[in-house]
Amino acid sequence: MNPSFKFIVAIILALEISFTNNYWVNLILILGSLLYIVRQKVPLRKIVWLFIVPLLPAVGLTVSMILKADQNFAFVFNLFTRLYAFIFIGSAATLTTEIYDLILSLQQNLHLPTKFAYGFLAAFNLFPKVKHEVQVIKTASMMRGITLRLWSPQLYFKAILSAFSWSENLAEAMVSHGFTEDQTRTYARTIPLTRRDWLLSGGILLSIQLLLVGTPYIINF
Amino acid sequence: MAFLTIDHLSFTYTTPQAATLQDVQLNFQRGTLNLLTGASGSGKSTLLKIMAGLYPKHAGQLLSGQILVHGQPATLPDASLVALMFQNPDNQFVMDTVYEELIFTLENLQIDPAEFDDKVTAALDFVGISALRNRHLATLSGGEKQKVALAIIVAMDSQVILLDEPFASIDPQARTDILAKLMLLKSEQHKTIIIADHDLSDYQGRIDQLLYDDQQTRQVKVANEAQQTALFRPFLRKIKSSDYPLPATGRESAVVNLDHVTIKQFAREILNQPQLDFFANKVTLITGPNGIGKSTLFNALVKLKPCQGTISYAGRDIKRIHQRQYSRDIGLVFQNADRQFVAVTVKEELEASQKHSLLPQIYTPGKVAALFAQLGLEGLEERIVYSLSEGQKKRLQVLLMLIMGTPVLLLDEPFKGLDLESMQHLIDLLQQTAAEQQRTIILISHQLQGLTKFVDYHLTFEQQHLQYVGVAQ
Repeated sequence: MNPSFKFIVAIILALEISFTNNYWVNLILILGSLLYIVRQKVPLRKIVWLFIVPLLPAVGLTVSMILKADQNFAFVFNLFTRLYAFIFIGSAATLTTEIYDLILSLQQNLHLPTKFAYGFLAAFNLFPKVKHEVQVIKTASMMRGITLRLWSPQLYFKAILSAFSWSENLAEAMVSHGFTEDQTRTYARTIPLTRRDWLLSGGILLSIQLLLVGTPYIINF
Repeated sequence: MAFLTIDHLSFTYTTPQAATLQDVQLNFQRGTLNLLTGASGSGKSTLLKIMAGLYPKHAGQLLSGQILVHGQPATLPDASLVALMFQNPDNQFVMDTVYEELIFTLENLQIDPAEFDDKVTAALDFVGISALRNRHLATLSGGEKQKVALAIIVAMDSQVILLDEPFASIDPQARTDILAKLMLLKSEQHKTIIIADHDLSDYQGRIDQLLYDDQQTRQVKVANEAQQTALFRPFLRKIKSSDYPLPATGRESAVVNLDHVTIKQFAREILNQPQLDFFANKVTLITGPNGIGKSTLFNALVKLKPCQGTISYAGRDIKRIHQRQYSRDIGLVFQNADRQFVAVTVKEELEASQKHSLLPQIYTPGKVAALFAQLGLEGLEERIVYSLSEGQKKRLQVLLMLIMGTPVLLLDEPFKGLDLESMQHLIDLLQQTAAEQQRTIILISHQLQGLTKFVDYHLTFEQQHLQYVGVAQ
């Protein structure tokens, strides 16, 4: 499926289940997402984690709802499944898409300006460096007798200063590699947007609407 | 007519009175190798970035002048005309693999995708790095990254190739390789190549034009025969091993010891040292070629870079000393002064150092004020540290770390960007401190003038090995 469409559908679905109260829909979405994840050959280890990670917050939420809010089973089960549905829908989009494909698709299919697309990509690739930078900042401060914690504003001040100089360097490097804002460019790879993408996205959204309408639901305030 | 002309160019970062370049006039022919030298912090980078079209777009202001190609004003930036290789091998790539970065560049130049594979293959083959094609850029060494940067320039097929201190942090072998490829680009493809470099070794007889930055007139000028000889001379002379005495065996006590220490940068071994002592209360100078791993050694000594084997401080394995304690034992004066600052204004920095000093009885406010003046920093108390000049930052940084009073102080190129007078002030202060307070100082410096009286021992760093050199006592 087209990467941009995949993300749009995921966001719409997540928004919809945030405002509806129907665990059947949640369960169908979890199952559908899981099938998709398995079909896209995501490693089993990652799939197992998807079940484990939300368990603690989901159980915590359920217990507190039963104990304090005195809610009925349907309501509590809906919250429980909703949490899992968020994780699975999100993972169905992120675990099956390469960041580069998404960036290409956003440019080619949704006409996102190239400066945003490549700026975002460059920042994403800088991420691993941030950890080392933080360590250097902390050590340098200790040598001045100051221990920086994760909540020290100075740590962020120094990190932002580093980020400024990185971004300046990168902007200059992009220009020297021939990058010009808003200029047309050729693409080594085009991300197709086919009729199948439209039909599939439309189909998923439509069937979820029908399910939501077809089964009773309450708007939950 | 010259291929490329810099026509009466003046440029400033701030005000017209403080211009970095003043009425620069230069000519470059096709198929030439031009070397641009001068103290760091001078106008070399500025000139290259103007020629690449990055300035004044990204910083500064063009006061007058223009760049001409065949006598016609050039529209810059134009990647097919001018390409620039940066000093810092990091932060010059957008994508995450070598192949994708090359593709990104070719896409920018609107080249037909059908030609992509051939062009990528040809560029990588030319530089001799076909094996790196699908590697992640984050896993490459500095030297490999600069070779990738060169391959990108080859793929871009730009007429003019600018290199801004491209060898500052890469190993000597990579430097030799890249220089050889540049000679080929010049002779076979008639590229106009301009390299800014402060290290002139290996260039004599290979270049067509030597340019130097005249800081008095803020101009970049062509060096005549006599000037060339004078500029090359310091790089022909190796330090005589007799400049310093060898440490007397058994008579000195070690403060830092290296026991079978191996330091690696990705796959490349930087240091493989069976045994080495750094001696207490002495000043030790470390010299060695660019990119050999001197700064990385310092990072290992302060626990910022993991290594194999045992480094011990005062007899204790540093892995077993908590970082917070350890950073009160050994201080590092970073090459990049900004790293050292923890506050906003100069006054706040001084107060922060005094507050946490291990020697508050020595560094009283009166004493600090006197040292501040001795370094020629008077009147800068209220300034924001990041707005100081590089030379001012450097002097302040060393003072801040001296006040901290750590028994061992590592200094990574503390004289970089300083004029001779400021350098002498700083050496005097360091020498005075080392003598009065029995401190151990370990120093990396390319700048060797004026160090003879200050330095006790001299270590050379070559071929993954550190060795004391000098005359036996």
